[in-house]
Amino acid sequence: MFSVIATILAPLAVSYFCFFHDPSQGPNALPVLSTFIIIPILSAFAIMASPEKWTRWISLFMASLELGVAFKVFAMYQVAAGGFQLVEEMPWLNNFGIKYLLGVDGMSTLMVLLVACVYFAGTLISWNISLRKKEYYVLFSLLVGGVAGAYESLDLFFFFLFYEFAVLPMYLLVGIWGSGRKEYAAMKLTLMLLAGSAFMLVGFIAMYFTSNIHTFDIRVLGDLAKTGFSPEFQKIWFPLLFLGFGVIAAVFPFHTWSPDGYGSAPTAASMLHAGVLKSLGGYSIIRVALPSMPVGAKYWLPILVILTLINILYAALVALKQKDFKYVIAYSSVSHCGAILFGICTLQVAGLNGAVIQTLSHGIVAAMTFALVGTVYGKAHTRELAKLGGLGACMPILGGLFVAAAMANVGLPGLSGFVGEFLIFLGSFRSGFSGGFSIFQILFPIAVLGIVLTAVYYLRLVQMVFYGPVTDPHAKDEVHDGTFIEILPIAFLLAVSLAVGLYPKPFVDMSNSAIAPLIDYIGGFK
Amino acid sequence: MIQISAFLPELWLVCTAMLILVVELFLKPQSSRSIHNVLATLGTLGALFSLLCLSGTCLFSACQAPETPQAFGGFLRSDGLALFFKMVIILGTLLTLLISFRYFKSRSTHYPAEFLAVLLFSAAGASALASAQEIITLYVSLETLTISSYLLASFMKKDKGSNEAGMKYLLLGAFSSALLLFGLSYIYGLTGTTLIAGIAKSLSTQTTSPMLVLALILVIAGLGFKISIAPFHMWTPDVYEGAPTPVTAFLSVVSKTAGFAAFIRIFWVGLSSLSATPIWVGLFAVLAVMSIVLGNLEAIPQKNIKRMMAYSSIAQAGYISTGFLAGGPMGLTAVLFYLFVYLFANLGTFLAIVIVAHKTGSEQIEDYAGMWKRSPLIGVVLLVCLLSLAGVPPFAGFSGKWYLFGAAVHMGYTWLALVGMVFSVISLFYYLQVVRQALISEAKDASPIDMTLLERSVLILCVVITVTLGFWPTPIMNLAQAAANSLF
Repeated sequence: MFSVIATILAPLAVSYFCFFHDPSQGPNALPVLSTFIIIPILSAFAIMASPEKWTRWISLFMASLELGVAFKVFAMYQVAAGGFQLVEEMPWLNNFGIKYLLGVDGMSTLMVLLVACVYFAGTLISWNISLRKKEYYVLFSLLVGGVAGAYESLDLFFFFLFYEFAVLPMYLLVGIWGSGRKEYAAMKLTLMLLAGSAFMLVGFIAMYFTSNIHTFDIRVLGDLAKTGFSPEFQKIWFPLLFLGFGVIAAVFPFHTWSPDGYGSAPTAASMLHAGVLKSLGGYSIIRVALPSMPVGAKYWLPILVILTLINILYAALVALKQKDFKYVIAYSSVSHCGAILFGICTLQVAGLNGAVIQTLSHGIVAAMTFALVGTVYGKAHTRELAKLGGLGACMPILGGLFVAAAMANVGLPGLSGFVGEFLIFLGSFRSGFSGGFSIFQILFPIAVLGIVLTAVYYLRLVQMVFYGPVTDPHAKDEVHDGTFIEILPIAFLLAVSLAVGLYPKPFVDMSNSAIAPLIDYIGGFK
Repeated sequence: MIQISAFLPELWLVCTAMLILVVELFLKPQSSRSIHNVLATLGTLGALFSLLCLSGTCLFSACQAPETPQAFGGFLRSDGLALFFKMVIILGTLLTLLISFRYFKSRSTHYPAEFLAVLLFSAAGASALASAQEIITLYVSLETLTISSYLLASFMKKDKGSNEAGMKYLLLGAFSSALLLFGLSYIYGLTGTTLIAGIAKSLSTQTTSPMLVLALILVIAGLGFKISIAPFHMWTPDVYEGAPTPVTAFLSVVSKTAGFAAFIRIFWVGLSSLSATPIWVGLFAVLAVMSIVLGNLEAIPQKNIKRMMAYSSIAQAGYISTGFLAGGPMGLTAVLFYLFVYLFANLGTFLAIVIVAHKTGSEQIEDYAGMWKRSPLIGVVLLVCLLSLAGVPPFAGFSGKWYLFGAAVHMGYTWLALVGMVFSVISLFYYLQVVRQALISEAKDASPIDMTLLERSVLILCVVITVTLGFWPTPIMNLAQAAANSLF
């Protein structure tokens, strides 16, 4: 226990206090954003090269280091100044306009924090994995390296490269360490995600060649005066890009990879995928599609919003009917991602801020919920809801944490879910209001219905699994409460969720520093 | 004036081949194999070395056309494009040699020297083709390559599959060569010259005649056979499956590369007049789509890995064609870069196939189960090389496809790029089947698969190159660009 705490605190302190100082005191010796990508990749190589008994310690050390860097990035970002900061630039292929370009704005700073938190928790939750342990941690670290890169890249080439780089380890993680129909799920997940990215890629290339200035630089592509995309071009490509990104965010009808994938994936992989990789969908719509094609966005979003509404309600209804513990959570995640996309569709400052905060919140909360499901499954050896029951008596701490996680999912004030959902609905209520009634005023009450449904299926879940009489007579003796190492990551995620829920101001300010200028530029619905 | 440096690599290859044939007369069959192997490797390395010396003076410093070494009245000229193609061809031959060493370890053949000699002759033909500036020279080099390949495909004479492969290849190949020659004769008739540059000059003053269209179709059909683009791909699966594995590897990389060299010379130099280009580019777009669709869809149900690789190579020809028909410095750069990437990914896979087949005696995909336990390196090689072929980042195939489809979109073929991307995803399905067996499934027989130090290091080299070029394509990109620019 003490060795674990030492392995966490020492690197965390080192990377927070020693490696980097404030940029105002001159340039850092280490580029902080590149370090953030390199740490997990370095971790993969270190694990490959060292004996198996060190594996999890190396991974924990590196994850804590990563967490420290993320805190530092969060502290270094100057909200008042806004815009892209800590930019690192290096020419890569000049004649194709490709640059190695990293940078964060308020929105990606939050995502960087999210990646590090889930990486840290995922490492701890995989502590007792025994099958092909070394390969597991190698792939897990590579996956983190990929998503970390995707959130920091400001060049479309590298964005795409890092994103797909993350999909590949996912395939193997689900295929090897998964459960149930794992090979089917792995294949489905990979093919659907990559099919979505095929549209993204062609869209990127089309943007590159159609713009007046041949570049993949996201900052420049977000300036219509420079790129000169015609309204026709935007109207053709915006829906394709939206759906391409939407596949990652499991937008209806391309959501089917998600329940199967999460149902089969090993715990840490579902945490990382639901919490971090999936959030990339909404993130990249805000980052790439909206600023570069505002006319297309305003033309299409009132139509595409229907899809996100189906996401919210349909997935919630399906979650009600599930017999498998993990599938409920998987569908709940689909439903929440629908809410994120719904927030984006409003094109309102409040709605988009809500989407960003909800992305952060959903990442933390979904990771926490999946961690809990994995831990309970490891003890009860079944995920069938009919066979579970009364577990609260055997595992009071895990039971309590699960209730907290359920409340965070439902959006109880004080937890992070509330802040995001409140802002999203505020945004949808106000969307287009100044110019009269819009479709959002009709849709808004329907979307709120989603929250009610969420409460229904989560309470049902809590009741079926943790309350009531113990169904399994052996459970009393055989099923025990979580150990320190199992509780630690879940409690950590809960703490983050509480922090966002109780004092959202720094997070919302951070997100607003990126969103407000964007909406100002696009103009919203009139 | 004949500058020997214009055909020095070919000279190395031909002389080595003849030396092997002579040396064989004086050696006992049992002891001779390793000597032949060493001779062949040294000869090919010599060719590579002479090529690098040449590239050093020419490709990197982008020298002017009159300075490029030429021979036989300008019929052979080692310009930048030729040098790049020769590099791919000779590297491919080198790796094929290594594959053949392992292949013949488990099979007794009485003619080890002949195999190596014919292989080197074939490589010399491909290499000469790359620098041919005149259609007769081009045709003769192509036939040197092809006729040697017939011999190679049917080399295992006691083996039914190999015989069938050789026979099929010979009959269809001879037919396609005839078509090509017929088409070229029309072009000669229309222009009155056999020099490719002369053809371009003559055509630029002509309007399109039906004769020219017929010639275009015939030449595309004849050459399309060599790069196995649909619908001229029928021979590919049978020949790839039946032929000895090193020969399959050779056909899939070297022969295809040479075919593209011929395509670029004839079409982008000779037939790129304003009136003719839209016709054959349109034709090519149809063929590219057909190859991508047919190759990928037919690869899915395959159980034999060599047959799967055959269909995969048809699809790859389709991808490369999209860059080829986009043309211009950008499209050709993409084609050259992709061929370089394809070389290592494909030959790495074939080397793994040969090593596994040597141990298990099987080429069925299901027998790759549990490779992560039996030989982790082969598991990693299959993962990296096959996914590079599928175009998944961060492997080199991804940056290759990015440029190919980028060039296509640039020239207004967005739909073609979209088809290519969608089918790249579909192709993942069958590539991942192999990866799934190799890395996920449990082994039926867990005995380890061993390999020599040389094979191990070559496999690692393939992986390293494929990964590095995915992240950092710049050096080879610059080289490819210099080579493509030598045409324009």
